[in-house]
Amino acid sequence: MKQKRLLVDWLVFIALTLAALFTLFPLLMALMNSFKTNGQLLTDVVGWPQSLNFDNYLRTWDKMHYLRSLGNNLYLAIISVTLIVLLSALAGWRLCRTKTKLSGFLFSLFVFSMLIPFSSIMIPLYRVVLVLKLKNSLFGLCLVYAGLGVSMAIFLYHGFVKGIPLELEEAAAIDGCTMRQTFFSIVMPMLSPITATIVITNALWIWNDFLLPLVVISKNDKYTLLLSTNTLFGQYSSDWTAILSALILAAVPVIIFYAIFQKRILEGIADGAVKG
Amino acid sequence: MKIRAKQNLSLLLCVLPALLVYGVFKLYPAVSGVYYAMTDWNGLSKTYSFVGLDNFAEVLTDGYYWQAMLFTLKYVLVMVVIANVIALMLAVAIESRRRAKGLFRTVFYMPNMISMVIGGYMWMFIFTRVLYFMSDNWGMTFLDQSWIGDPNYAFFAIIVVAAWGAIGYLMIIYMAALQGVSPQLKEAAYLDGANAWQTFWRVTFPMIGHALTICIFWTLNSAFQVFDVIYTLTGGGPGRATQSVALNIYEEAFQGNVRFGYATAKSTVLFAIVLVITIVQLRLMKGREQEL
Repeated sequence: MKQKRLLVDWLVFIALTLAALFTLFPLLMALMNSFKTNGQLLTDVVGWPQSLNFDNYLRTWDKMHYLRSLGNNLYLAIISVTLIVLLSALAGWRLCRTKTKLSGFLFSLFVFSMLIPFSSIMIPLYRVVLVLKLKNSLFGLCLVYAGLGVSMAIFLYHGFVKGIPLELEEAAAIDGCTMRQTFFSIVMPMLSPITATIVITNALWIWNDFLLPLVVISKNDKYTLLLSTNTLFGQYSSDWTAILSALILAAVPVIIFYAIFQKRILEGIADGAVKG
Repeated sequence: MKIRAKQNLSLLLCVLPALLVYGVFKLYPAVSGVYYAMTDWNGLSKTYSFVGLDNFAEVLTDGYYWQAMLFTLKYVLVMVVIANVIALMLAVAIESRRRAKGLFRTVFYMPNMISMVIGGYMWMFIFTRVLYFMSDNWGMTFLDQSWIGDPNYAFFAIIVVAAWGAIGYLMIIYMAALQGVSPQLKEAAYLDGANAWQTFWRVTFPMIGHALTICIFWTLNSAFQVFDVIYTLTGGGPGRATQSVALNIYEEAFQGNVRFGYATAKSTVLFAIVLVITIVQLRLMKGREQEL
């Protein structure tokens, strides 16, 4: 019995290890070949690089305007997520605390559209962007992300506020706190667990989003990392050493982010999915 | 009465900023889309005229659209089954271990952190270079296929890459659900003489119904909108053999024709289909969950 258990354990371990290798395979291949010369890539794709030469990286670093693209990504993620958190926390909190017909109506107005797929509103949305002269505007893109992101965030905040006792806010009101003070110094701190979840899920979504920037941004200097990488792919067509180094460069920021906040990210993902 | 009015006023003030961005960038596009779908607006000229249901009639007979729809349905079906089965298997396998749990979890979730655009191009390298090398030099001749160029293999390639990117997310949800199953229940089943297989299907599986509903809902929804993977891997080709509906709409609106009104009609039809299918799925699965 014990022996059988041990055997099963080993089989599970081997299966998991094989699956893990499969998962990492494309990343490893990309990383290894990004250090090779074109000649070595042609003769030996799966071998180790002969030396760590950063020539490919130096080439693509400039070509994809790495720092500028990275800056655009950071700008988009930080401003959009801040907007989503502030607007949704405020709205979700009041929607939960106010028990009127209007509040019920507004809440369902926010929630009902969560099922609408992005590709269904893409074209009318593009028209709104054109009319408001927001094409090629990074801040405009942040506003769009806020508009697309608030319903889910309001839904999550609304649910979380329900579980917080009302007494603290009442006490604050008796002590003469204005609504703004109550929101920023009493409510926001209590919301921080769900805020962490909302920040993580939205930051990852916006950071990795491709279709919306592809449609809204057409000027090189406003390109995100993904748009720059995509253009490079078109230019270099089959120069894989260049393309792979660009892919690695584009992936490195998220990998670092993942390495640092791994636990929080995984908790946040599970939390956001189950509550959503 | 007065208190209520005051409450509503402060509510409106707090909701207004969110409502504004939401109204302009989500609600209005969604509602006006239905109107544009009934015009011949082409995105370039300022004027357009109302054409009633003509666009919808054209969608019904648009061979490329339904070819893309059929492809998308096939993709959705395969993804829902494959991604969920593998994710659940991985979750169970990892949860059964005492050591290296965290390490495996970290590795399997890794692809989800990276955009599918990057993942798609990395896999493109595997499919167009690495596999040929393995076939030529390691004698693995079964790998010598036209992975991107042949429609059947291209479908397979797309599924591999999409599943690679989605499984980690599903696995995390299943793992959270598995951790919520009380050990006492499993203990009781064990004492009653159930083997591991029976314990899983009779005790554990019914207890994670909620996670199953979420995961299938998520896979359905995201698979119907699949764009990034196919855009980077095959671009919808060869020809239009691997074109998804989202790609078909994108092509109609932003490449070539610029027929915005018509493309909006296409996206409205997509929305209607997705809505019906997800509602049916939620009804069916929620009903089951409650029974247990």
